Amino acid sequence: MKLSAVDPITVEVIGAAMSSIVEETGETLIRASHSTNIKERRDCSTALFNAAGETLCQAEHIPIHLGSFLDLIPHIMRRYPTQDIRPGDAFIGNDAYEGGGTHLPDIVIAEPIFIDGKLAAWTVNLAHHADFVDRGHAHIYQEGLRIPPVRLYRSGELQKDVLDLVLLNMQVPKERLSDLRAQMAANRVGVQRFQALAAKYGTDTVLSAGGALMDYAERKMRNAIAAMPDGTWRFEDVFDNEEVAGTLALAVELTVRGDAMSLKFDAPEQMRAGINMTMTALLATTYYVVKSVLDPSIPPNAGLARPLQVEAPLGSILNCVSPAAVNGRLQTCQRVADMILGALAQPVPERVMACSNSACTVAYFIGKKPKDGSTWVYLETIGGGSGARSAKDGLDGVHVHTTNTSNLPVEALEIEYPLTLLRYELVEDSGGVGQYRGGMGLRRVYQATHDCRVRVDLTRQRSQSWGLFGGGAGANGKVEAGPGVTFDGDQAVLKAGQWFALVTPGAGGFGPPAQRDPAAAARDLAEGAISAATARGVYGVGD
Amino acid sequence: MSTSPGSTARWRVGVDSGGTFTDICLFDEATGRIEVWKVPSTPDDPSRGIAEGVEQGMKRVAAEGGAIVYFGHGTTVATNALIQHRGVKTGLVTTDGFRDLLEIGRQKRPDLYDIQADKALVLVPRDLRLEVPERVLYSAEIATPLDERAVRAAARTLKAADVKAVAVSFLYGFLRPDHEMRAVAILREELPDAFISAGHAIAPEFREYERLSTVVLNAYLGPVMARYIKRLAPRLESLGMTAPPHLTQSNGGVIGFAGAADMPVRTILSGPATGVVGAQAIGRLAGFEDLITFDMGGTSTDVALLQGGQCRLASEATVHGYPIKAPMLDIHTVGAGGGSIAYIDEGGLLKVGPRSAGADPGPVCYDKGNQEPVTTDANVVLQTLNPRHLLGGRMKIRQDLARQAVGRLAKRLGLGLEETAQGILSVVTANMARAIRVISVQRGHDPRDYTLMAFGGAGPLHAARLARELDIKRVLVPANPGILCAMGLLLTDLRADFAGTRLLPATDDSVGEVSAGFAALAERAGQWFAHEAIAASDRRLARTTDMRYEGQNYELAVPVPEGPITSQTMRTLTVRFADAHRQRYGFAPEADPVQVVTLRVEATGIVAKAELKSHPDAGPDASGAIAERRPVWLAETRGLVDTPIYARDRLRPGNRFAGPAIVEQMDATTLVPPGMTARVDRWLNLILEAT
Repeated sequence: MKLSAVDPITVEVIGAAMSSIVEETGETLIRASHSTNIKERRDCSTALFNAAGETLCQAEHIPIHLGSFLDLIPHIMRRYPTQDIRPGDAFIGNDAYEGGGTHLPDIVIAEPIFIDGKLAAWTVNLAHHADFVDRGHAHIYQEGLRIPPVRLYRSGELQKDVLDLVLLNMQVPKERLSDLRAQMAANRVGVQRFQALAAKYGTDTVLSAGGALMDYAERKMRNAIAAMPDGTWRFEDVFDNEEVAGTLALAVELTVRGDAMSLKFDAPEQMRAGINMTMTALLATTYYVVKSVLDPSIPPNAGLARPLQVEAPLGSILNCVSPAAVNGRLQTCQRVADMILGALAQPVPERVMACSNSACTVAYFIGKKPKDGSTWVYLETIGGGSGARSAKDGLDGVHVHTTNTSNLPVEALEIEYPLTLLRYELVEDSGGVGQYRGGMGLRRVYQATHDCRVRVDLTRQRSQSWGLFGGGAGANGKVEAGPGVTFDGDQAVLKAGQWFALVTPGAGGFGPPAQRDPAAAARDLAEGAISAATARGVYGVGD
Repeated sequence: MSTSPGSTARWRVGVDSGGTFTDICLFDEATGRIEVWKVPSTPDDPSRGIAEGVEQGMKRVAAEGGAIVYFGHGTTVATNALIQHRGVKTGLVTTDGFRDLLEIGRQKRPDLYDIQADKALVLVPRDLRLEVPERVLYSAEIATPLDERAVRAAARTLKAADVKAVAVSFLYGFLRPDHEMRAVAILREELPDAFISAGHAIAPEFREYERLSTVVLNAYLGPVMARYIKRLAPRLESLGMTAPPHLTQSNGGVIGFAGAADMPVRTILSGPATGVVGAQAIGRLAGFEDLITFDMGGTSTDVALLQGGQCRLASEATVHGYPIKAPMLDIHTVGAGGGSIAYIDEGGLLKVGPRSAGADPGPVCYDKGNQEPVTTDANVVLQTLNPRHLLGGRMKIRQDLARQAVGRLAKRLGLGLEETAQGILSVVTANMARAIRVISVQRGHDPRDYTLMAFGGAGPLHAARLARELDIKRVLVPANPGILCAMGLLLTDLRADFAGTRLLPATDDSVGEVSAGFAALAERAGQWFAHEAIAASDRRLARTTDMRYEGQNYELAVPVPEGPITSQTMRTLTVRFADAHRQRYGFAPEADPVQVVTLRVEATGIVAKAELKSHPDAGPDASGAIAERRPVWLAETRGLVDTPIYARDRLRPGNRFAGPAIVEQMDATTLVPPGMTARVDRWLNLILEAT
């Protein structure tokens, strides 16, 4: 289709209308869903794509989910000739190698949008299904059912055989079914709203505006890169968690030349562990960080990626190939995000922040419900410190970078699962010292009210989140086991009444602590953000 | 209700107290006469301005305070205290292990992409957030009894810290309030002068963080509102008024003074909600039900969208960064208005607001000591505003001072005086357009399908340019734009919402509890009706239930059929819920169990409303309304243009005139720019349309 030029006001109105559509589909998904991970923690995303599979608009939910979206439509197009795709088809997929996903619990449903009999766009949503737990992570076959893009609906008709196959492989099938229905409901809204938009402005105008918005994002990104000095900057960090022995060396080399930027990553070979990242996960992480630092207002569409070139060795933990396991890829993504910030700190120090908690700390639970013996599965992620900025302290106890899920209210958690929350608090002295203090980590204490199994996924136990320009490092992440609880690696059995705690890492400080405003240090002391020893020893405040 | 002896007049009085002006609207139920009055606000003690304004207004109609049968009031006291963080020093007593919840919130960062963004200021610092051993479970069982000695110790710590308010919020306090009630009792003993607010009383709903945020905000604002009411009530009494005064709540309904003092958090959008109610009534009358309201005052601007005459009602919203659980109209506020200060930022760009000169000292042209030019000064320089006086001649102004102040900015920018003044207005217009996009485009509405209703003291002056920016074709300026909020109080029925959370299966087994629940709500509504002296024939009750499938956490509202609750009612509700679910989500798993979560009763008291008179058509010739001519500097011509100044009170229905023109009236000035035509409808609304 030859697309025509559209005036800037119409482009803006259509761009905002597409943002409204992805927001509304997201709200529909959240409101109709049953699992706590979606209805309360909002671990889901929605987006619109054009017929070529380019992102038109992504809702402001979870940046890493873009990784699952990036390759999905091309995968579908490779498998199914366009002329075989019909209105009312819905494709389900989750595979990291054949389905465009970044880990198996993120199940994507994509539905084509037809206008006047032609495939014009796609509405796509992703929900992180709280399933796929208590598995192995030596390779992806251990991690659960792999679903290439297949039709869950064909011309509006449910493919029950496919659904049955999927549900039989799930630990909590009833909840999966409800959540899948919510995903279908969300796409239905997406189809209707997009068709209404096309009816109002004309399909040609809407698609042209989509193209113009990508050009606009590209232009903004190029302008922002061009405003940086040319040069090459390198940054290194290490990765550690329970699944790997010792630490793994990671590095990035970031080059700015004119209005383009390239990022070359170096990383060890992929491992028999869940920490591997697919290329799409690496791309989603990179796009997120560069947009945040250079211009947060750039619209989240495919245009912003055009000036960026990303490379990592094929078969490494940052660009893995089948059959590497990928379930815990978010820990690695977070480390990569901070590494890019470390590289950008050299040319544009005033726009970055020090290392955040560099983790996405997770607790997975599985057990039998006391009332009927059915299986329950629960997972949640816990925020931590956010890095100090060039003129401000870091944020305490928040989700950073590629993830941004809500906590589950205690009152919602305890009514659904046989767990009791004993404490949820900020950790004293966990933020790195500095002229500006790093954000504090969180401590969350769980007590089992009935026997269950728990697995934890955390990092920064053997390394620390670095400060910048003289700022100190954040405190380590750790697990505290209550009496009688023994962790075997990352797993433990909890008997009724037993407890354990997850402590998430603090973030790095910015600037030398000697330059901290004494009043700010005194306030930290009064509020218990720092100990008396730190106040006296580092800042010379207190008695 | 009483009226003064010997008089048949029954005055209903609406008062809108804003940051800059206090507006008074008087309506005589007996004769249908409407009078409006406007006085400068008195921000140090807003009750003074209100009492003075009412007194002057009543004098104008030669009536005594005793003739007032209804007093309705919209106030920005709570909002302003929140925006400016002028609430009181507040402490928190909460469940052991959870004091940081107020700061952690839902653990999401304030902005997904902007790493420089910060969370809203935490209203209780960590050292005033005290934990006490106690724990209730989801089953309402007590796992750990309340440690009363710890509560007493906490109370003494807070007393030593000299807090003026204390919030109490425990886990599951909404389900089993025993511990909160006991803690409140102890706190009252130890801190008899403090304002104490508990979660179960303010927001008895689940989700501990949003409830905590609401109750902390309530405590933080409580003494501010109490002080306000304590000053206002006796002033009104001393005018001889005996009718019980009311405040508008954020949902557009009204509440008595005592209720407002207990629950200031429910009045956080009082002022703007009043304006939306007024716009709704005027729009319905004039035949425009798809409206974007543009209420620009001295300090801030509120915008809202009405589709089919209705504004979306939210049960929870985030206001100025703080989650609040209370019914609220969907209104978006920006901190910019006629009093917003213009300045040059560190990057050399011209910025306007959010700092405001307010009413005192006010714009430079008021000559009360302010040296920094504000939006109003820019209009005075360009002579879009009268360069000699405002408020229909009651307030003299100094154009020379405004010119000097804008001139200082012009020199730094290297621009001409008028270009700089126009630049200030362009920046303001762009800010306003962004605010309107939030409530229109971002909610899926195209502003071009709507009529812009401009009111507030500064709305009509900026509306035409704003409409042009958004490609809106029509602007409606009501007859009394400066006092629309005050008038709104007299154009609407009384309304109150009552709700109770139950969580019951939607089956026969629950008939008794649902029935009892509605009976209890109806009884509360009955008390409210009685308190408001609403006759039995003027009482309306609408019942709804919020329902969901077991396992969901969000509900859909389903209307409840008339009559007693029976097994048949429960079946009807289940069917209606499945229909609503199917309509909203496209599916309904009908075999799944359904829950009734919250019962709601909306009580409406039908009252005599101010009726705006329709006037006969007087033909298109508007020349008789031209009071004078003056040169006005217009962006379209980039120069002074000799412009007719119309007196609004002399414009008749059917009159038509083309821009450029200025319409002056006591409470507002309307600019009709070149390229637009104005006409007057039969309710004396001014309608501007692009030609």
